[in-house]
Amino acid sequence: MINSTIEKFKAYKRGFSINKKHKMIGWFFVIPGALLIFSFYFYPIVRAFLLSLQGGVGNNLRFAGAANYKRLLVDPLFKKSLFNVFVYLILQVPIMLTLALILAGILNDKTLRFRSFFRTAIFVPCATSLVSYAIIFRSMFALDGFVNTILMNMNLLGEPINWLGGPWTARILIVIGLTWRWTGYNMIFYLAGLQNIDPSIYEAAKIDGASAFDRLTKITIPMLKPIILLTTIMSTNGTLQIFDETKNLTNGGPANATLSVSQYIYRLSFEYVPRFGYAAAVAFIVFIIVAILSFMQLKVGDER
Amino acid sequence: MKKKLTVLFLMIVMMAGFTTMTFAQEETTITVWCWDPNFNIYAMEEAAAIYKDINPDVNIEIKEVAWEDLQTQLSTSLSANQTDSLPDIILMQDNALAKNVNSFPNAFYDLSDSGIEFDKFANFKVELTKVDGKNYAVPFDNGAAINAMRVDVLEEAGYTIEDFTNITWEEFIEKGSDVKEKTGKPLLSAIAGQSDLLMIMMQSTGNWFFDQNGEPNIADNEPLKEIIRVYQELLEKEILVQINDWNQYISSFQSGTVAGTMNGAWIIGSIVPVKEQAGNWRITNLPRLANVEGATNYSNQGGSSWMVMANSEHPEIAADFLNQTFAGSKELYETILPSSGAIATYLPAGDSEVYNMPHPFFGGQKIYTEIIDYAAKVPEVDYGIYNYEARDTISTAITQIMSGQDIQSALDEAQSTLEFQMW
Repeated sequence: MINSTIEKFKAYKRGFSINKKHKMIGWFFVIPGALLIFSFYFYPIVRAFLLSLQGGVGNNLRFAGAANYKRLLVDPLFKKSLFNVFVYLILQVPIMLTLALILAGILNDKTLRFRSFFRTAIFVPCATSLVSYAIIFRSMFALDGFVNTILMNMNLLGEPINWLGGPWTARILIVIGLTWRWTGYNMIFYLAGLQNIDPSIYEAAKIDGASAFDRLTKITIPMLKPIILLTTIMSTNGTLQIFDETKNLTNGGPANATLSVSQYIYRLSFEYVPRFGYAAAVAFIVFIIVAILSFMQLKVGDER
Repeated sequence: MKKKLTVLFLMIVMMAGFTTMTFAQEETTITVWCWDPNFNIYAMEEAAAIYKDINPDVNIEIKEVAWEDLQTQLSTSLSANQTDSLPDIILMQDNALAKNVNSFPNAFYDLSDSGIEFDKFANFKVELTKVDGKNYAVPFDNGAAINAMRVDVLEEAGYTIEDFTNITWEEFIEKGSDVKEKTGKPLLSAIAGQSDLLMIMMQSTGNWFFDQNGEPNIADNEPLKEIIRVYQELLEKEILVQINDWNQYISSFQSGTVAGTMNGAWIIGSIVPVKEQAGNWRITNLPRLANVEGATNYSNQGGSSWMVMANSEHPEIAADFLNQTFAGSKELYETILPSSGAIATYLPAGDSEVYNMPHPFFGGQKIYTEIIDYAAKVPEVDYGIYNYEARDTISTAITQIMSGQDIQSALDEAQSTLEFQMW
């Protein structure tokens, strides 16, 4: 039975030109992966979109058209959470990527001692769980916590800062946490990129009298451009979807000053009266924003 | 090839294993989801042991599921109509019960005609488990609010626990600031940006954040304004300190920096582990809001109840199990009380000898009798469907007021936010 099928398939194949055969082999390799992506990524996206057109509570859903999207335009909490994630995005991504680039530059120096130790040390935060680091940060930045004690003992502060109590200090705390957690991760990408730059280019530049700053801006950054683009898109994407940090570090507080869009989606689905249609609409807006930002970054970064 | 065969073989063995497992069960199994091994799970285990004697064919299987996870799994499974993964009995937070019953009609088994005698439970608690006149849950733990205080600190300032019993908030503030002056210790601590204490005060007046028609009642809620005024005064006079999270709240009275706390009776579980303070604690009722009509010295915070899922294969057996244990066995409550401090809302249990036992940690005070007595006097309120939304908006308003915003404008904002969220 199986043998005859194979025979038939072979006979079928014989009818094609060599070019077509190659293409078919290509498709043969692509199809399993493509099918998986379609069924686990694209199908849910389509279903989420259909869900976002439905209104109602719990499982009493009915078609509501664009009502959810109209409501989003006037939802103060949605606007607030969107504002918050853009604050994180604008503050955190540039700081983190610059820091990662600088650290990668330093650690790429072959004359540096204990190089692999530093590399590991900076990368280790990425191996910690999001939840546990958020909880540790919360206790470190408590009113009588580690950070305030250190700062007061160094006489840098007169009285302790209530990090979790003020809207901006709480946002800054999230930014500090994110930077600590993700800088090392991005640094690894840059380090890998730097390995691919031929050292002779630097040597030539040195002979021509280029300063360290010139070498950074004229050689390193242009050569790393594709990787910088990749990390920017990944960080933007990750920051817009931030959940663990805001949930565990500040729980959206004080007065929703750190509430993220993902946490709002969580609240809409599981804490408040469940409105999955509306939550899906919020999620879909985030998807569109991420898509637009990534597209813009690709356009800006693409030279071809 | 050999490897492939091994994998295939293992898969077959596993599948065979699962099938035999399913076929091997001849007796009925009732699965239960609940949280807290020292409290709810322990109580459930004891109940299962009691029911084993009544109905040996029924096997009770208990799985530990944290409340957040339980709510998440419940919502996801019910909204996807995939109810096979859900258990027969769940423990439900009282403040989320009406919301879940409303969002997922037909998902929960109506216990009204199951033979369970609901009038044997504290009234306010039964009210919380009712939706549209139908009983959906068997009341369990007691969230009757208590005012627990350190009498050694009070004594230093010349007061006794009687001076704090049946008083008004005015008197509490007066005596509290005196205690603070003489001993340097505040009497209360609360988590900044959380409205638990305010909610306790609110329920003691018999009012809530919704009116009779279920409409939000915040902007013109006079009791709420009075409560905020009292709260601010407590903070100003440093009788109440704000901390940032739950752990700091627990350690504030465990370490002795704060000389008392007000919360649901279950907070006793966090007071008694500190052996050095044994004998120094007493409990009493809450202060009442003298300027609010109908205000009492009693309230409630937290608490949960047992629900039967409608998708259960044996809802009658599950209901019977609850009826014979949590709604009918004094013996069960006598077993669980001494070892876990799980105080029930099952009123007949209050007559039990165990409940009349003096508690050594509280200087021989008969705290359980007191709590059962408070529970009977807690004003009934309807938390409503939008309780979590209300809680969040009130918390936000309080945070804004504490950072300087005018009370009325913060409450107006909260009113419109809550109105927007109720659609």
